[in-house]
Amino acid sequence: MRPLTEEETRVMFEKIAKYIGENLQLLVDRPDGTYCFRLHNDRVYYVSEKIMKLAANISGDKLVSLGTCFGKFTKTHKFRLHITALDYLAPYAKYKVWIKPGAEQSFLYGNHVLKSGLGRITENTSQYQGVVVYSMADIPLGFGVAAKSTQDCRKVDPMAIVVFHQADIGEYVRHEETLT
Amino acid sequence: MWRSSHGKMSKETYRKFLHISTSGLAQEREEAKAKKEKSRTGNTSLLEKMGVVDFHVKAVPGTEVPGHKNWVVSKFGRVLPVLHLKNQHKRNIIKYDPSKYCHNLKKIGEDFTNATPISNLTWELEGGNDPMSKKRRGEFSDFHSPPKKMITVRKDESSTASLAVRLRPSRVMESLSSTQQQAAQKTPCDLITLPKSPQVPDSESQKLKHVFFQTSGLETTRNRNNLSDDDIDSEDELRLMIAREEKERAIWSSVNKSEDDHFEVVRDDFKSDVHKLHSLSGLGIKNNVSCLDSEDVLRNDSDCDSGDTDEIIAMKKNVRKVKNSTEFSQMEKSIHKKSLKNRKNHEPSDDRIKVHKGKTNIELAISQEVKPLGCKSPSDFSSSENADSISESPESEDDEEYNAMMRNCARVNLTLGDLEQLAGSDLEAPKEDTESDGQETTTKCDRASKSCRTPCSLHTGRQCIHPGEIVASLLKEDNTHGKQKPKANNLKPKFQAFKGIGCLYGKESVKKSMKEIVASNNNTKDQNCLKPEDPGGIFMELGPPYANGSSGELTPFQHAKAANDPTHIQPQKSQDHKVVSPNSSEERSGNPVSSLLPLTGKKSLSLGAKTPKIGSEEDCCHRTAKTGEGSRKRPDLSSRTAPETWPEAASRRDTQGSKTDPALSVKSPSSVNAKDKHAEDNQKRLAALAARQQAREAQKQLVHDALANVDGHPEDKPTHIIFGSDSDSETEEASTQEQSHLGMEPVKESVGRASGKLFDSSDDEESGSEDDSNRFRIKPQFEGRAGQKLMHLQSHFGTDDRFRMDSRFLESDSEEEQEEINEKKTAEEEELAAEKLKALNVVQSVLHINFSNSVSKGSGAAKKFKDIIRYDPTRHDHATYERKRDDKPKESKAKRKKKREETEKLPEVSKEMYYNIATDLKDIFQTTKDASAKEDAVPWNEDCGGEKPEEVHDPAALTTGAEQPGGFTFSFFDADSKDVKEETYSVETLKPGKIAWQGAPRFQDSSSEEDNVTEETDETKPSPGEVSLPEKETTRFFFFSKNDERLHGSALFWRGVGSNISSSSWEARTNNLRMDCQKKHKDAKRRVKPKS
Repeated sequence: MRPLTEEETRVMFEKIAKYIGENLQLLVDRPDGTYCFRLHNDRVYYVSEKIMKLAANISGDKLVSLGTCFGKFTKTHKFRLHITALDYLAPYAKYKVWIKPGAEQSFLYGNHVLKSGLGRITENTSQYQGVVVYSMADIPLGFGVAAKSTQDCRKVDPMAIVVFHQADIGEYVRHEETLT
Repeated sequence: MWRSSHGKMSKETYRKFLHISTSGLAQEREEAKAKKEKSRTGNTSLLEKMGVVDFHVKAVPGTEVPGHKNWVVSKFGRVLPVLHLKNQHKRNIIKYDPSKYCHNLKKIGEDFTNATPISNLTWELEGGNDPMSKKRRGEFSDFHSPPKKMITVRKDESSTASLAVRLRPSRVMESLSSTQQQAAQKTPCDLITLPKSPQVPDSESQKLKHVFFQTSGLETTRNRNNLSDDDIDSEDELRLMIAREEKERAIWSSVNKSEDDHFEVVRDDFKSDVHKLHSLSGLGIKNNVSCLDSEDVLRNDSDCDSGDTDEIIAMKKNVRKVKNSTEFSQMEKSIHKKSLKNRKNHEPSDDRIKVHKGKTNIELAISQEVKPLGCKSPSDFSSSENADSISESPESEDDEEYNAMMRNCARVNLTLGDLEQLAGSDLEAPKEDTESDGQETTTKCDRASKSCRTPCSLHTGRQCIHPGEIVASLLKEDNTHGKQKPKANNLKPKFQAFKGIGCLYGKESVKKSMKEIVASNNNTKDQNCLKPEDPGGIFMELGPPYANGSSGELTPFQHAKAANDPTHIQPQKSQDHKVVSPNSSEERSGNPVSSLLPLTGKKSLSLGAKTPKIGSEEDCCHRTAKTGEGSRKRPDLSSRTAPETWPEAASRRDTQGSKTDPALSVKSPSSVNAKDKHAEDNQKRLAALAARQQAREAQKQLVHDALANVDGHPEDKPTHIIFGSDSDSETEEASTQEQSHLGMEPVKESVGRASGKLFDSSDDEESGSEDDSNRFRIKPQFEGRAGQKLMHLQSHFGTDDRFRMDSRFLESDSEEEQEEINEKKTAEEEELAAEKLKALNVVQSVLHINFSNSVSKGSGAAKKFKDIIRYDPTRHDHATYERKRDDKPKESKAKRKKKREETEKLPEVSKEMYYNIATDLKDIFQTTKDASAKEDAVPWNEDCGGEKPEEVHDPAALTTGAEQPGGFTFSFFDADSKDVKEETYSVETLKPGKIAWQGAPRFQDSSSEEDNVTEETDETKPSPGEVSLPEKETTRFFFFSKNDERLHGSALFWRGVGSNISSSSWEARTNNLRMDCQKKHKDAKRRVKPKS
């Protein structure tokens, strides 16, 4: 468990900023306490100061996880967002996509969102913009990347992919063993 | 590979299936035929009756239906009409016989050329993009509906593919892959029916992979899942996906038709209805439906996080607040808090609430309806409460509604007096009936129920005061359960009759809760809600409300609950029967309990208030203890507590007991005949147990009292020391024990002190006692880490009084330590803060925005604040920070005011100086007009200046004759001084305008007399321009004439038409100039060179 290096922080923040934009600042600078990011087993955890101190009592090799896992660094030092970060990112999401009830299951199985399953989309979503995927009942389902801008979405045919799947809450079941 | 094998398999299986099915089908057909024939034969008679010919008999295609000319039996036995169509081109009439195949082919299929295209047959519905019009057009946004569409798409695809096969195999592959992907995503089972993939060139291996990748949705997910765990970067993945997508799009773009949007585009600040709902609910304006929804949510996701549940509960609370009085909501708050996690617990608690409301035997009835056997066996009864909760969890919604309904109803609050009255009235009921009824009804039922049965049945008609009866009346309304309802009716009152012991119960509980609970039922309710899980707890908690609200009715339930074990039922009964009577005898004779508790008995006088409390505490203990024990204890408690606090009640109870007892005793033999002996044994055992328990309690009480005397109330102690008294020795022992335990101070000292104290005077003694009390207090200076140090030091010094470690020694240490800790903390905090700053910097760099101000400001301000000097007005040296206050501001204020006034005041102007305006513009214009009109007819006064005044005055006289006499003070308005001033200004402002206006007429057409006028008026300040104006008499025309004086100066500005001289001269001049320039340039160069 160690704090992130500046480079790591930058990479991670760039990724997160794709989804929540300047709201990222709110994650870093929280009024309700000190929260920080810690790297442990290549995974980045978002921890409150209190829990971090508690976790410091546990040896590194025994520590499984602490706080909330936001994602992991790949071997090529890129950051990969995990679904566990959804709880923290969803409230701050700038661009959202709502998917129809029929397409929910498909998305939760790890598939992309087709236009036919697209129920609603935030205007001015640009292409390859990180989006948070919601169900029509406003339950956050996961992350995605807009494959088309909002305008393109209008024109495209119903079978075309509009949101690339990145992470979904189905992973809690599918990747139960790897999620921390 | 896989597909082909699959295809083969499917074919084989299909063949097999065909084989089987054909054989089977043949059989089936034959059977069906037989059946049909049968039915026909049956039907024919009917048909014949109705006058219909049976043509089925000769169902050979082509045969005419007998009796009907143009009807033919067709291939499959149907009757079809023969058509006679008139040919358009030829004159003849075509006969179309549907039974003949050739006719089908030829005759009708002729005029395809003229057929209207399908597009003409269909039409488009006008309309926008709103969902209704979409639906009208047959476009449904539902995701599930598209399979049809998809199929068509696939068909299109296949067709396009077949076309494109020759052209571009790769494209075809892609299109297929896309289709397959879609198919996989939508209908995995459709894979078999997919168009066969054309043979794929080897070069397209990657695409082939894609095909496989996408053929099965599950596989893809798995693959991707693996990917996600692998170290392939998400970016790379994304790039791949994007590339793929773009390829697909390239294809789609050809096929692409802009379809209608099935999705809506929302703004950034979009909030969906769900949120609105929540917010609404937050305001407490929620309707029931939403409430139910929320409940459903709560039920559905049991593991939703606490925040959400809190919200939901808050919503609920609000809703209920709106509905109900505050007490209910409060009560429910407690419930909700308890039952956050599991809904089931919540339900029972709700049930209980209902019970407390005193309307609730409906619930019981329900439980009985659900489980008709529930009322038969007490054991079932005991679980009935729990069963209620379980059985009613599906009906929870109903319960909710019921709750809501019942909350609006009035609550029946029964006081003790009411209960007594009721009990009395109940007991008046004849007792013979009880026996017979009891025997009639199931023997398994509670003895209590038997005894009460009749009173209730008698009562139902009479009064509706009793909650049970109210419930009964309520129950009558939904009278669907013929048999069970009377039972329910019977059940309720049967508890009334049991008032004998029920009262005991009630009184115990009442006594327990006398001081707190009786006043408010809510408290008791809350108590009840506290421990919904524990059946014992329920039993205990249910006590008070029953006592308050409906004790008589519900006590049997307590019994039932007490008899959780089916094996215990009979013994208990017997015990109850038999113990009750002894009880009364015991009470009369004298309390065994009181004898057992001599100390308490003695102290009961002095601590009169205390003992009942203790008793109640004990009650609590007993009740919380196992139900069996509780039942056992009942008699004891009643006997013990009665004499102390309830003398009158005891007497009354005696009478009641005597009344009820016979009934019970009469009944017991009938019900318990068989197990009499066993019951006796059990009873003995129970009695022994009870005795033991009592002994233990007595001991406890002893210790309790002793301890209470020791540390709690030193003033209670007798002032005189009695040597060898038990209490003293006890306290001594206790103190020594404590000393040894605590190890705070050496034992010696205390002993010495004690010895000294013994022989000292009373004053010393008192102080000693105080010391004593002080000695065993927790010393704050020895607490914590610093305290430990101190303690260590103290132990070094020994018992020397001089080196006693006071709290004074503590502070410095603690301060240091605190500082250390603080330093540590601050170091950590600083680290974190630094990290945070770093992170923020990174954020800034990432987002390319500048927001650090707000964040860094806060921290910076906090840091700065330490250095800032705090101004203390009491300190003298801080006077330097004070800004000296002068009287200036005041003065300045006054001054300012004055100044303002001054400024507001208009400057006084001497009336001596003024402009005399003899004319106004109007006159001037008039005159000019006149002049222009006259066209020089009137010879104006150019040369004669003396006439001017007259002339000027004339028009003035015309306009403002009244002012004329007043001399030269001319004004448009009144002759005020102000106006005069204004006039002066106005005159000034007007003048330049006049001049400007005059500029034009100079060149054009205007009379010069105006100039003269102005000259005259501006005698004081004659403008030079005006003066210099040439004044000549000319005949003026609008058009320029030759040698017009107006054009004299203008010759400079234009060139004559035929003058070439100027151009040549210009050239010469330019040449000269150029030469000069060049020369000068050279000179300059020459001059510069030698210098350099």
